Amino acid sequence: MSAKVGVLIYPGTNSEDETLKLLHDVGVDARLVHWSEAATLPNYDAYVLPGGFAHEDRIRAGAIAAHDRMTDSVIEGAQKGKLVFGLCNGAQIVLEAGLVPGTGPVRRPTAAFTRNSPNGKFICRHVHVRLAIDPQRCAITAALPKDSLIPAWAAHGEGRLAATDAHLKEIASGGHLAFVYAHADGSVDDRAVPNGSALGAAALTNREGNVLAIMPHPERDAWGFNHPDRARGTDMLAPSGGVALFESFAKALK
Amino acid sequence: MQPYRRTRPLPKNFEVIAKSEHEIRSAASAAGLALRVDELRRIADHLGRNPTLVEAYAFDAQWSEHCSYKSSRHHLKNLPTTGPTVVVGPGEDAGIVHLGEWKGERYGVVVAHESHNHPSQVVPFEGAATGVGGIVRDVLCMGAQVVAIADPLRFGRVEDADSHQRYIATSVVDGIAAYGNAIGVPNIAGDVYFDGQFDNNCLVNVVALGVINESEIIHSAAPPGSEGWDIVLVGKATDASGFGGAAFSSLALDAQDAEANKSAVQVPDPFLKNVIMRASYRVFEYLREHKITAGFKDLGAGGIMGCTAEICSSGGYGAVIDLDDVSTSQENLPPAVIAIGETQERLTWIVPPGVTSEILRIYNQEFSLPQIARGACATVIGCVSKAKRYVMRTGDEIVMDVDIDFLTGTIRDELPFKELAASDTPEPSAIDRLRADHPAEVLTKILAHRDVCSRAPLYKQYDGVVRGCTVLERGAADAGVIAPVRGTPLGMAVSVAGNPRYGKIDARRAAEHAVLEAVCKVVAVGATPIGLTDCLNFGNPKKEDQYSELVAAVDGLGRGARALGVPFVSGNVSLYNEAAAGNAIPASPIVACIGALADISNVITPAFKGSGYALYYVDAGANHNNGGSVLAEVLGIQLSYLPPIDFDVAAAQLTALRAAMDAGLIRACKAVGNGGAVSTIVQMAFAAGKNGKRFGARVERSRKFSTLDEGGGFIVEVASREAFESFIPTVAAHHIGAVTGDALLIVNDQRFNIDDLHASWSAPLAEVYA
Repeated sequence: MSAKVGVLIYPGTNSEDETLKLLHDVGVDARLVHWSEAATLPNYDAYVLPGGFAHEDRIRAGAIAAHDRMTDSVIEGAQKGKLVFGLCNGAQIVLEAGLVPGTGPVRRPTAAFTRNSPNGKFICRHVHVRLAIDPQRCAITAALPKDSLIPAWAAHGEGRLAATDAHLKEIASGGHLAFVYAHADGSVDDRAVPNGSALGAAALTNREGNVLAIMPHPERDAWGFNHPDRARGTDMLAPSGGVALFESFAKALK
Repeated sequence: MQPYRRTRPLPKNFEVIAKSEHEIRSAASAAGLALRVDELRRIADHLGRNPTLVEAYAFDAQWSEHCSYKSSRHHLKNLPTTGPTVVVGPGEDAGIVHLGEWKGERYGVVVAHESHNHPSQVVPFEGAATGVGGIVRDVLCMGAQVVAIADPLRFGRVEDADSHQRYIATSVVDGIAAYGNAIGVPNIAGDVYFDGQFDNNCLVNVVALGVINESEIIHSAAPPGSEGWDIVLVGKATDASGFGGAAFSSLALDAQDAEANKSAVQVPDPFLKNVIMRASYRVFEYLREHKITAGFKDLGAGGIMGCTAEICSSGGYGAVIDLDDVSTSQENLPPAVIAIGETQERLTWIVPPGVTSEILRIYNQEFSLPQIARGACATVIGCVSKAKRYVMRTGDEIVMDVDIDFLTGTIRDELPFKELAASDTPEPSAIDRLRADHPAEVLTKILAHRDVCSRAPLYKQYDGVVRGCTVLERGAADAGVIAPVRGTPLGMAVSVAGNPRYGKIDARRAAEHAVLEAVCKVVAVGATPIGLTDCLNFGNPKKEDQYSELVAAVDGLGRGARALGVPFVSGNVSLYNEAAAGNAIPASPIVACIGALADISNVITPAFKGSGYALYYVDAGANHNNGGSVLAEVLGIQLSYLPPIDFDVAAAQLTALRAAMDAGLIRACKAVGNGGAVSTIVQMAFAAGKNGKRFGARVERSRKFSTLDEGGGFIVEVASREAFESFIPTVAAHHIGAVTGDALLIVNDQRFNIDDLHASWSAPLAEVYA
């Protein structure tokens, strides 16, 4: 029997539909789990936390949601080795829950996605992210080729990784830095980073490699028509680059 | 619900009978009523008694310009509103146009257009945010998924970083971003102009778009046979916000209450709205599954009273409302405030009593509204009555009992207006100066002009890609395009237009230009125009000059829409956009156009595709230099000249261009807009550059093609000249040059580096929206 994946809807989540559709399209047995159904969450084999503004992003993005009853099941599941895939607001929740980088106790985050630099404002911009770890290091990226370049849309107000120098060092040396922002040709520099994120970080994983938290949205560059460089006559409904990460996630479930 | 407790007696009635005109006027003014003496007397005559205070405020809201369109409706009826694409025309909360068919299902686009100008001038963040919230509800209540918004904005001068105008221009954008992003609706189109005549009156218009299976439309009316059905109020706890400031203070509240309610401004709650939208989608599903017909309507101006009275009277029924059953955020709210205040994030259902408990369960338990915001809930507040009366009760008192049709019926103010003179007397010397050879720096100045330069610093704060269905995001093309129905190739385009520099010269022709520009922008992305919507932003209708502009603009909208064969399906009117000193905004008819793409694979972008491809200018009947052009302003030429549009040419050219597109001959296309043809060409190179492709262009000015003309038309890139010319055999497509591969723009003997031009174009708003 295939793995059952729960796509969590917290009050304020807003990206559940496109996330669910892409999961279905890559063959994942996924369903939306609404906050009123939190009690059913332990029955799922993996969790996807989509984008949005869970609990209105009060205090700090993801901070309240990390203490939501739904997140209890996510934390428990992650500790048992279930896959947890957080996207944008979902990534913020995963960090606030302390699952990633996972170098401290649960719900005592050692790193957070914070207000964008330089002006603290929301930014919507097309980006690329490059795989910065050995693919096998994280179960969710395991099926990707080395150095994979994935197109995505950054759409967030709080995506700047911030942590103490010691914790940043730990993230870098511990293999937690899963994806970094990059240019379309794969090169990496400050201009490729849309939000001032420390280490140019776009995504982090935990020590065990079963949790991935990614800020930009690969699911919004999933189809030919989503990609900014479109030309008439190309198959707009064919998969685009963002699908690769979801396909890798699907393979990890098998 | 909280029992209503009075802390001091309220005046029961508003005394009209046997009072002098002067007495009525001062009493009305003291109560903050905008009703005129003749209107108050008409109400008392009809009732055969003095109106209660609640009734007086109810009529004040219903007969306000905002709700009644009393000085515009009889002009608006001349707009074309029918056609093969119209599914629901004007009259409900939103219009619906037919988008396309897929596997036997018919899909429609739900469209509504609204302004939130006055609130945004006072409290820009909240005013703009509630503008988004209100219009999104209008689309939602038709039973639709809300899939996109667009925001035409007009601000004052923002050069001074410390000015109030700068504060408004940035806070409005922050407010729209905060609301739209949180509810998860992408912002895919919009425009912005800056002008001193908006210093005291910014314009914040918002267009909201939904998608719906045409067999699943929910109407804003009590359904046939709904006598005795429940009236369910959903959403935020009713509070004192959004009740006219003067009126509210006149209700003699306790000092402490007054302190708690200082603000008469509506308060947005996008977080709650996010949840209400999703809960409503679940209700739609439930009603569909069980084949239940219901009525659904958004609460806007006039609050509970306005919404419930209109939804019941539209169905031919009356209503009985128990104000005591309304969830309120505080005790002791006066009945008039509960009845008429405009607390945000509320909607009303009319449902058969048998399903009420399930509706309440979905909102209150499954989506736990009471835990999302204090006092938020779905609750029964009354029922539909056979008697066509509108009755409101509190405690054992009847505070309102009127003929529902009299309350919601059409009223009309005949105001004087005059025919405006057409602005078609050009001054030859000024025209010659416009068409002369200009030094190279003129192009740089045009690209850095506030109405031409890059809007990216503004719109990059908007989530343009949430829902994952965006095809052309903001800034990628003249119109935004989404694939709104998941799993189908159907595409929906939307554009906005309305040039205030034209509005200053000639209201009628500015309106015609707005229609033409909006339609051209939709055609430019390869879509077929299927519907229009308008927001008429004007000054004081009681001043003949200003009212005449409104009348002329409606005439211009009608002429343009008829000529191009695109109907208006919804709209809005915002009047009294006038500063205390009496100076009004420029005539601002703002138009949005909806387009349909049968297959998004045929979408056309403005980005250059190939070095050596030919460039054409396609005239659309308005290729004239004019006094409202950016060029005229850059050169300092004062010229009150806006030439007429040849709509026969426009219609023929649009048809020919669409045919060339369908034949796959057009590689890139962009409508000529602010800054003229050459600035359009440069932006086509910028669009390619965004994807790392470096192109330039070589173009020749000629007697037939002036590179700085901005009257409309298109620049198109084609691979085969022969094939294209066989499609556009008219004299109105001019071969003007070619795309080059070297990131240089060469216009006759002038050479520009595309990167330098890009730097000039990118800088101005980056400073404002830093």
